[in-house]
Amino acid sequence: MERKPSSRGRTLRSSKGHERREGEGVRSRLRRFSIGFGWFFLQLIVCASNLVPLDTLAQTSISAPHDVRVFDTPSDGGGSLTVQWAPSSWDGPDARYQVLAGDAAVTDPAALTIIAEFPANSKYVKDAKTAWWTRNVDKTWHQVLVRSAKGFEVKDGTSYAVAVATVQGDQRVFSPVLVASPSPDWFNWNQLNNLIIALSFGGLVFYSISYAKRHEIFLRRIPGLDAVDEAIGRATELGKPILYLTGAHDLHDPSTIAAAVILGKVAKRAALYETELLVPHREPITMAVCQEITKQAYLEAGKPDLFKEDANFFITADQFSYTAAVDGIMLRKKPAANFFMGAYFAESLLLTETGASTGAIQIAGTDSDHQLPFFVTTCDYTLIGEELYAASAYLSKEPVQIGTLLGQDIGKVVVLSAIGIGIVLATVGAVTGEQWPQLFLDLFRDLK
Amino acid sequence: MIFLRRQLPLLITLVTGLLFAAQYYVPHPASEQMLTSATKWLQIVGGFALILGVTSLFHQHAVKIRRQEAGWGYSLVLYVGMLGTIAVGLWTNGKESVEGTMTAFGWVYNYMMVPLQGTMFAILAFFIASAAYRSFRAKSREAAVLLVAAVIVMMGRVPLGEYLIPLSGDVSSWILNVLNSSVRRAILIGVSLGAVALSFKIIFGVERSYLGGGKE
Amino acid sequence: MSFSERMLKIDRRIIFLMIGLCTLLPLLYPVGLPIKISSEVRGVYDHIESLPERSVFLLSIDFDPASKPELYPQAIALLRHAFRKHLRVVTMTLWVSGTGMADQLVTQVAKEMGKEYGTDYAFLGWSPGGQAVIINMGQDLYSAFPSDYSGKSTKDLPVLDGVRSLKDVGYMVSLGAGRPGVEEWYVFGKDKYKFELGGGCTGVMAPGLYPLLRSGQINGLIGGLRGAAEYENLIGQKGKAVAGMDAQSATHLAIIALVIMCNLFYFSLRQQRG
Repeated sequence: MERKPSSRGRTLRSSKGHERREGEGVRSRLRRFSIGFGWFFLQLIVCASNLVPLDTLAQTSISAPHDVRVFDTPSDGGGSLTVQWAPSSWDGPDARYQVLAGDAAVTDPAALTIIAEFPANSKYVKDAKTAWWTRNVDKTWHQVLVRSAKGFEVKDGTSYAVAVATVQGDQRVFSPVLVASPSPDWFNWNQLNNLIIALSFGGLVFYSISYAKRHEIFLRRIPGLDAVDEAIGRATELGKPILYLTGAHDLHDPSTIAAAVILGKVAKRAALYETELLVPHREPITMAVCQEITKQAYLEAGKPDLFKEDANFFITADQFSYTAAVDGIMLRKKPAANFFMGAYFAESLLLTETGASTGAIQIAGTDSDHQLPFFVTTCDYTLIGEELYAASAYLSKEPVQIGTLLGQDIGKVVVLSAIGIGIVLATVGAVTGEQWPQLFLDLFRDLK
Repeated sequence: MIFLRRQLPLLITLVTGLLFAAQYYVPHPASEQMLTSATKWLQIVGGFALILGVTSLFHQHAVKIRRQEAGWGYSLVLYVGMLGTIAVGLWTNGKESVEGTMTAFGWVYNYMMVPLQGTMFAILAFFIASAAYRSFRAKSREAAVLLVAAVIVMMGRVPLGEYLIPLSGDVSSWILNVLNSSVRRAILIGVSLGAVALSFKIIFGVERSYLGGGKE
Repeated sequence: MSFSERMLKIDRRIIFLMIGLCTLLPLLYPVGLPIKISSEVRGVYDHIESLPERSVFLLSIDFDPASKPELYPQAIALLRHAFRKHLRVVTMTLWVSGTGMADQLVTQVAKEMGKEYGTDYAFLGWSPGGQAVIINMGQDLYSAFPSDYSGKSTKDLPVLDGVRSLKDVGYMVSLGAGRPGVEEWYVFGKDKYKFELGGGCTGVMAPGLYPLLRSGQINGLIGGLRGAAEYENLIGQKGKAVAGMDAQSATHLAIIALVIMCNLFYFSLRQQRG
């Protein structure tokens, strides 16, 4: 099946070439025609040798699949064997392949259980998501995975007999029976690219940090963070509290950690201005951590006596009950500044719209992209996406934090370049049918 | 003391951070088992941490009731509601129905929680309208573009809009599938890089302010 | 204060009243406008159509009563379709506060379609852990759910015959109102254990899931009440979603009218101030 289109393609190309030559001089045309015809005829013979006899062959006689290999599936969690065999000349929709498996003691392939049966022009190595560095045969080879199925269980450490049969009509021809046993692996080599990219990015971040310690780095303005002082100042002037929310998630989410880090900076300023701080929580562990952060901030501000243990308090883990409670706090206490940092869901608009109705300055920062429109609409300032992570760098101006931002920006340049080059190479590969662009594209593929 | 407050947590972060980052690359069932067990442990620890939260909640409202602060009656409602639900839940073994018959816990769920949650979510529609009226103004060229896109998508997502402007359905689908998807991917790439960088910093102890303190 | 200024600072309760009327009146006097089927909803429908009888269809009802108006009709339409196709329907939830609602939902539709518990369908209930439950199900479904919601051993349920893990599921749809939801089912489920995945979500969340749809990570998406109405049309059983579309149409148009009005007042005010 794979060969037919390419053969046909070659024939078409040759006939197109033939048409192009018609516009030239008569002699030259005749000469070129004879050459062209000769070449066309030669192609025809080649194609005919590929196509016609193969079909005839397929109808008349089939033979056993050749070069059959059975082995433990590499880079997997076990419970699977891989069967590979070379493509044959009769591979087409009329013929079928059967993959059979059974107890290792079985020597007669006919006694094995049929695990899979499919047309002979399907199930290739190229269908499996693998990269060139883990492929051991050509992409045109057939490949089937033997896994547990109804009535047949594949256990790690047990040997199994596997055979492949070619079937056409009543004919069934078996390959020799091969034995292999599955086992789980300790590294997924398909993800090697992922590991290298992750480690490179990590290295880049640490290099950027060390670079930032030695050099001055420009940091663009983040208006939302410039407004932090203004918001706290306003709350102080009005003698009203500051409300700070850390979002819906617990500390496993980087956005909550970023929110907790920013809380430290906000709490320090609130302590300096002697303004009341309210931090209602949805998650008890986050509450405990934020209590420590706030305490430290008051200590650093030199106002430990102003620190209140119950500035951080727990409400409930339930989304809308929490929202109702915070809305109630907003309406009763009328905070002059509301901070919404971290991850948010449907509650975002309910919180910010209530806050807007009380006339508070509102600053949001979230990586929950689905809620960004609501924050942008209802808040005075919004930190979008990674600006939330950049906030601690901006507020502290520490080289460690600024260096991380530099690393992230270089990372973005790399990602954008990879996308650009990838688009060009994928297009070149698709247009020319060449395989070499795939070598590059595989490096950035998500393989499991 | 400094070891328990600083070094030990950082050591635990380093070891577990590396272990679970490595877990992603290990297909062996033991690695998946480790992830599942750790997540279950997190649930258990989280369950115990709830004691912290409930203590905070009780304390906060007890103070309000004791001082008879403004709205202390609501705090009383909270106490009654919470203790009542816990009692009913324990009594019915957490089941909302037994052999087709609604239990008291089921009654609380169906006739209190369901309508209350529904009400909160329904308020969104009203708030979206008021927020849109207040903020959707073409203050700049960019805001005008967003405004037009929002109107097209709102038209294209409802039958009446498609009926009035037949093209709006296809245009809104294109906006969602092409413009929206690409912008979200761009944000996602930035967010992911930020999250990975922050994770690296936390694992290697460069970022430690989440532990609740400054530098030693 | 000029008229434009006054109108821009209009009491928001007037807007609330307008939206309330726009929702209520079409529900009382429905028009029944035609609904066009989108390719993303058709993706889910077509895949269920293509499944052979007795294939395993896993539906995770990952929402709580708060999102009931949008996601409940989606779940009903999906269950009706799956039962009509004689699929083996396995349901569950990752949201503890949605357990009771999910149980009622599944029981109600199964009763309506004359299906038998244990043989044709099962409700596994809720298991703690969120994404960990998905990973656990990918390894061993019976370890994640040793018993179903009613306490029966899942190993004894005929509906789960031949099902060991997520790998044995023919099609899986998560109807999610947040986290854990469709994204978690992709990251911790489909990506690891390779099964076909579709999604359903609230209208607000839908634009956020389009990148997953575009990259083929999910093969279809039912977005909000509109998606549910489209699905009801596809299966030919109109329900609450189709009824709600008139109300949604009126509300959308009301919001558009409000936005246009506020811009008119805004520009008029700007002109007055020079």
